[in-house]
Amino acid sequence: MDCLKESADPHLKGWLGKGSYMGMGIGWVVIATVLAIAGGVVGAMSLRTERPSPVAFIWMTLAFGAQLMALAWRGGLRGQCPLGDVGEICLFLAWSLTFFYLVTGTTYRVSLLGVFTAPLVILLQLIALIPGFFEKNVISADSVDAWREAHTSLSVLSYGALALAAVAGVMFFILNYRLKSHKFGGGLVHGMPSISRLVKAMARIAVVGWVILTAGIIAGLLMPEGNFSLHLMVATITWVLYAVLLGVYFVRGLPGRQLAIGLTVLFVLSLVVFAKL
Amino acid sequence: MKLVCLGLNHETAPVEVREQFALSDGALDRETEGLISSKDILEGVVLSTCNRTEYYAVVNGSSGVVELENWICEQREYHGSREGVFYHHEARDAAEHLCRVASGMNSMVLGETEIFGQVKKAYQRSLEGGGTKSVLNKLFQRAFGVGKKVRTHTAIQEGATSVAGASVELAEKVFGRLNGSSVMVIGAGEMSRKTARALQSRGASSVMVTNRSFDKAVDLAEEIGGRAVPFSGWEEELAHLDVVIAATGAPHFVVKPQHVEAVRRKRKYRPLIMVDIAVPRDIDPKVGEIEEVYLYDIDTLQEMADQARKRREEQLRLCEEIIREEIEKASLPAVNE
Repeated sequence: MDCLKESADPHLKGWLGKGSYMGMGIGWVVIATVLAIAGGVVGAMSLRTERPSPVAFIWMTLAFGAQLMALAWRGGLRGQCPLGDVGEICLFLAWSLTFFYLVTGTTYRVSLLGVFTAPLVILLQLIALIPGFFEKNVISADSVDAWREAHTSLSVLSYGALALAAVAGVMFFILNYRLKSHKFGGGLVHGMPSISRLVKAMARIAVVGWVILTAGIIAGLLMPEGNFSLHLMVATITWVLYAVLLGVYFVRGLPGRQLAIGLTVLFVLSLVVFAKL
Repeated sequence: MKLVCLGLNHETAPVEVREQFALSDGALDRETEGLISSKDILEGVVLSTCNRTEYYAVVNGSSGVVELENWICEQREYHGSREGVFYHHEARDAAEHLCRVASGMNSMVLGETEIFGQVKKAYQRSLEGGGTKSVLNKLFQRAFGVGKKVRTHTAIQEGATSVAGASVELAEKVFGRLNGSSVMVIGAGEMSRKTARALQSRGASSVMVTNRSFDKAVDLAEEIGGRAVPFSGWEEELAHLDVVIAATGAPHFVVKPQHVEAVRRKRKYRPLIMVDIAVPRDIDPKVGEIEEVYLYDIDTLQEMADQARKRREEQLRLCEEIIREEIEKASLPAVNE
């Protein structure tokens, strides 16, 4: 099947040719990855010198722009939300992770530690770049189901937030270990937000992710073929587990370490389960 | 033509001498005017803060610091001993000294930033009064550049060098800003007072003091603006606290795991920092095994303070290098010539 004939932006593809258009799109993913690497390296170096730098934030903003260009390329090919193959899912997840990193970063100082978010973004984009993960022959959608589009995009977006909550959880583990074991040396402890801020960041970001996941599940139930599929069932179980964890934290209280364990384990588990479906 | 600097500060002169040389804003203008009216002095800036009074002057011919010192003592009607009270620098040394002062390297609190504004103000007043020309204009502009560079490229002001300061630093690592946090001091000695004061200076709003002798607790609480709690009732307060400082003379553990375990649920498992500065220790080390408790003893705090001191020494070396390089690079008349 000729994706140029089928896809939604025939003028541009016709002008560039099939190979060039594909290359240009991949190019944006490569640029986004290089920028994220720069963000990670600058963040790591600023930690080493014990002087957290906002430059990492700038690199990640640029990476975000490149991710948008890459998503626009895939969206143009598909004529709908680009979540049709492994490459697109990884790219969308990397984009949503970067988005929440940029949005919540200024509030919780998590942004100072680009080193923690950047590796995950880089990993996801590198997976997306594995040959074959971006389908070459894409069929452009004849019609778009709004509920399906909302379900897929909101679900992946929520995973961006939940991933960031897990990243904050990993940061908490490291800081908590260093403070409890009296290892204060190095830029890692110096450049991190405080324990209290990390706990608040974990909980609040997870709430944002959970709310978006709720909207995603509702959209899934409203799809025309909205039967309660295995996929939706797993999403609902994930939703319930996050609700329990956050409910316990806000109502009864929970040590920061247990919240961090919960958020990290839940994120990894749900990701593994969804990958197997 | 040469640049000279003559001054006295908190390291060379006691407060009763320093106050004799301290100048109010109005007196500062008159002093500068008097300084540059001398035929041998071409340019001059007078800096006066609570910790130092310094004269920077470009002098003509054979005049030097001795003449300047005589003039200053005459002006201030100072007849006491001058031995070790004044320090003086000439040419490049004087330029480097000014850079150190503007960078906060010569201040009582290393790296403090207030001095930068004070030097700027002193220069501005002299400039407006016609006291500076090409030499001091270039020198002071360079010193401001150096001051900014030292602050952005080094970390001389970072790190606590005392046990009380290290306690505050750790509390901030756990809580971020200490605004609105609650502190309890167990024991009413000098270390308790210092640490409570340090925490208050960073925003701790509620300070409770408890002690076996309640009178002493009341005295300390009054002194620091806190609240005294009877020793029999400190455990009940634990549910509302963020920081506990223990510094009693008790020969056994005062705070035990069961005390914290009893209030964990009520505290909703919020982080709790406990600082044990007593020898023998007041807090059972097992308390530190509770998940949300961050426990530090005197050895840890002392080690932190020592490391900060070493780091500052390294930073000072870095600052000196910056100053040397910047003065070298600048083509300053009466300095590099």
